[in-house]
Amino acid sequence: MRDFDFLEPASVAEASRMLADLGEDCRVMAGGTALMLAMRQRMLVPSHIISVARIEALRGIRFDPVEGLRIGALARHTDVADSAVVKQHYPMLAAMAAQVANPQVRNQGTLGGNLCYADPSTDPPTCLMSLDARVVLGSARGERVLSIEEFLVDYYVTAIEPDEIVVEIRVPAPPADFSGLYTRFLRTAAEHRPLIGLSLATRRSGSTCREAVLAVGASTPIPCRVPRAEQFLAGKTITPEVAAEAASIVAADIQPVSDARGSAEFRRDMVRVVARRTIAGLYGLATD
Amino acid sequence: MNASTLGKDTPQVNARAKVLGRAQYAGDVKVAGMLHGKVLRSPYPHARIVRIDVSAALALPGVKAVLTGADAPRAMWGVHHKERRILAEGVVRFAGEEVAAVAATTEEIARDALDLIEIEYEELPAILTTEEALDEEAPGVHPGRNNVSHEIQFHLGDVDAGFAQADLVYEATYDCHSQYPGYLEPMATVATLDPEGRLQVWTSTQSVYQARMRLAAALEMPVSRIRVMQATTGGGFGGKIVEDANSLIAGLLTVRTGKPVRLVNNRLEDFLACCSSVPERVTLKLGMTKDGVIVAKDVRIIAECGAYSGLSAEVMHVTAMRSDNMHRLKNVRSHATLVYTNNPPHGAFRGFGGSQMQFALNSHLHMMAEKLGLDPIEVHKRNAHEAGDTSIHGWKIGSTGLRECMDQCAEAIQWQAKRANRDRGTGAKRRGVGMAAAMHVSGNRTIGNWDGSTVVVKVNEDGRVVIHSGECDMGQGAMTMLAQVVAHELNIPLDHVYVAPPDTDVSPYAIGTLASRVTIAAGNAAILAGRKARQALFDVAATKLEVPADDLEIVDGFIRSRNAPDKRATIAEIAKLHIWRHDGEGLQVSATWDAKTVMHGDVHGNIAPAHSYAAQAVEVEVDTETGRVTVLDSYVSDDCGKAFNPLAVHGQSNGAAAQAMGWALYEQLQLENGRLANGNFADYNMPTADSIPLLRSGIVESNDPNGPYGAKGASETAILPGAPAIANAVYDAVGVRITDLPITPEKVLAGLRALRQSREQEQGGSPHA
Repeated sequence: MRDFDFLEPASVAEASRMLADLGEDCRVMAGGTALMLAMRQRMLVPSHIISVARIEALRGIRFDPVEGLRIGALARHTDVADSAVVKQHYPMLAAMAAQVANPQVRNQGTLGGNLCYADPSTDPPTCLMSLDARVVLGSARGERVLSIEEFLVDYYVTAIEPDEIVVEIRVPAPPADFSGLYTRFLRTAAEHRPLIGLSLATRRSGSTCREAVLAVGASTPIPCRVPRAEQFLAGKTITPEVAAEAASIVAADIQPVSDARGSAEFRRDMVRVVARRTIAGLYGLATD
Repeated sequence: MNASTLGKDTPQVNARAKVLGRAQYAGDVKVAGMLHGKVLRSPYPHARIVRIDVSAALALPGVKAVLTGADAPRAMWGVHHKERRILAEGVVRFAGEEVAAVAATTEEIARDALDLIEIEYEELPAILTTEEALDEEAPGVHPGRNNVSHEIQFHLGDVDAGFAQADLVYEATYDCHSQYPGYLEPMATVATLDPEGRLQVWTSTQSVYQARMRLAAALEMPVSRIRVMQATTGGGFGGKIVEDANSLIAGLLTVRTGKPVRLVNNRLEDFLACCSSVPERVTLKLGMTKDGVIVAKDVRIIAECGAYSGLSAEVMHVTAMRSDNMHRLKNVRSHATLVYTNNPPHGAFRGFGGSQMQFALNSHLHMMAEKLGLDPIEVHKRNAHEAGDTSIHGWKIGSTGLRECMDQCAEAIQWQAKRANRDRGTGAKRRGVGMAAAMHVSGNRTIGNWDGSTVVVKVNEDGRVVIHSGECDMGQGAMTMLAQVVAHELNIPLDHVYVAPPDTDVSPYAIGTLASRVTIAAGNAAILAGRKARQALFDVAATKLEVPADDLEIVDGFIRSRNAPDKRATIAEIAKLHIWRHDGEGLQVSATWDAKTVMHGDVHGNIAPAHSYAAQAVEVEVDTETGRVTVLDSYVSDDCGKAFNPLAVHGQSNGAAAQAMGWALYEQLQLENGRLANGNFADYNMPTADSIPLLRSGIVESNDPNGPYGAKGASETAILPGAPAIANAVYDAVGVRITDLPITPEKVLAGLRALRQSREQEQGGSPHA
């Protein structure tokens, strides 16, 4: 790894000015799990690292019944997984965070860093998309709030401006009839990255799905919602047949990537299985 | 009091230093004025080097040397075929081959310099499969030779007559892929010139003397001008025997610059530099009577060594004939061919070719047992040798615990009950059990006509002991084993024994850590040396205490008379007296043990003083919708003769089981046009704690007559049965027989589809028939 200057701004505005001054030569570091690998391999050779670790505004996890959840960008995956309020109000989010990558990454990597890296083979963006989460971007110029769909532009590309950093992630308060499930599916148990992330957030009345938001990630360049499946599920009593039909819609409607970790055809087949199991599992049906 | 730790769970004597971060690995060594090396590798599987311009790299401040093939000695290195240059010259034969080496004042500058080396390549057609390589029109990977690197053929008995009397003849082809050793510590070397100009090398190796020999040959120096010291070694698994170029390049940079040079592979470089295991296609044909007795065995093997043959020929030899020695065979025919390609080189790996054949053989025995309505365990046992037998290849079987290993596994996994319950369920997830058994050597008279080991024991004037042995501990526990043996013989506490790391200037000559030979060879030598040291102490004590030497014993730090225990002196007093007397000397003894074996003539001969056995039973769950195989339970039973240290044996067995699961289910080197595409642990998936069950293991003690206190090797056998046990369990669960490793979800799903189609055809066809 090449030598670099290590900058520690104490506020969002200071960080933003540094970013604006240094331009392409600098990189923001939160947990550093992805950044350090890229620097060691010299895929990135920044002259300056801007650590956001000292910016208090980026810390903490808070819940308000009206405002919903606010997760500071520096919250580590393990912080999200262990947070009492996340576990209480968004159990699917806590359960997802408890499974990200591997223990080393969960204990070091942050939610904000994860979103900024925009690696397609990861879990948080898909789960957050189904929960209608917002990304708050801060700079010396002020704040912007983007949906996950707006924030993620393409794989490894986000809508963040050069002088912006992610300050926090907001998740609306869940409705009283909320019921959701995130499935991280690995091709084999030894892999660290999901082949598929599938997130289902519904409003539920008994075995009836009143409303559904369904997002698929990891097998697509960026997570995507599947509107046709959402519409199909809305208002339906979830039976094994309904789950299977919805799963077929999901499998048909996504555009899976094809790479060394799985062909498009294999990914589509697995998405079908994972979608059916997730829908059935959430509604208390047998999954196999 | 008996201070012995033999047979007791004993933490490794070097574990504390490792856990506390005090152990010195080669990459930790720092020498004043040390430079840092980096290697530039070929991006092409086959190309002509048209031009190299190093001037820009040399001009970079901090760069002290940029070496290419033209700067390296003319000597070629290799195990049998001397066919490889330290740095390629004229032509590169695989993607990753070392082309240039830089030494600079920092690692970063050295790496910068690599980018400034200009090389013009002319890409040449690359041979990337054994089929292409064996085409008669194919050009030779090496000039003037065809692509057959080595060939083994033998025919014992009458195989055709054997098949004629068989009730069942079954043939299948098995494909075994290549596995990266995945040790924690990538290869690393620090080399320097001592004040006398001798080359002094700290390196991560399984054999200091093999390393010295290879450095001497490749650098065209006398062995006596080279000193190799083993640094703490973070795993080897065969990859650090003799096939790596790391120490050679570090040595070359040091010789050419006159400066100390540190060369440490990062993980990607290690993936590119280390030999992975030999991929082999094994076609096996067995003839069996209806009682399950094997009456004929016919084996054809196509093995791929990649661009340079290294130890691959020896590996293939093991595949071709070792498993024959498990069974009472009369008729065996084998034809094995080792083939060059332009893929990265393959070579030694834990199990040394045994895994490949045992995958085929154990898969085969399971299928044949099923066809004959027999239990595979019974088929194994019916054919298995007994102690006292001589195998078809002349191996004298001194002990065998194969049957007991299988019984232990069967009981642990509830084999009978689970197989009797044929209900595999109707849901998507089906369970099955599988079993496999294997043998391995403990020692092998194959490098030359010696399979011995020498141990030197010094008793210091404080009564404590230093052991010198040239056999390397790379994590498997040689140091603990040696300390346990000598402490046992002298009846002193384990922590009064220090095992010095191997050093060619100081340690006795040694072959090194390979062929599961160290416990049997060095363990026996340590017994002899320990007893010699004890006798030397007794001889001096007898004079001082005025009692006969054979009346003496060592208890609680004292040498004392058995008959008159108050006649006593401390070990320290006697060790001092051993020096401070007329014609005295420091107490230092040396003892050598050599196996009473023979070198094999072609394939016949008793090459190993003992043989280890292992069996494994697993239960798996197969998800028929996703193709995922989950190992729910695994039990490995290891016949290591006598477990000096059950903790270490269980560790070896469980580590082997995990590594076998990696080979069977998870790991896969991806070559794209001969180029490694996944040389990192994010994309090359070794087993994690999440992906293996709680590993269970058992020990069988068959007490080999040639073993030290009955012990045999306990580090390699346990890796052999894992893959076929899993494949057999998958077959038991869902009826899909996977014959090409790894067992991926895609293959399982394809097998299930094929099974459904054939069932539908059967059902659809019959009404019209």
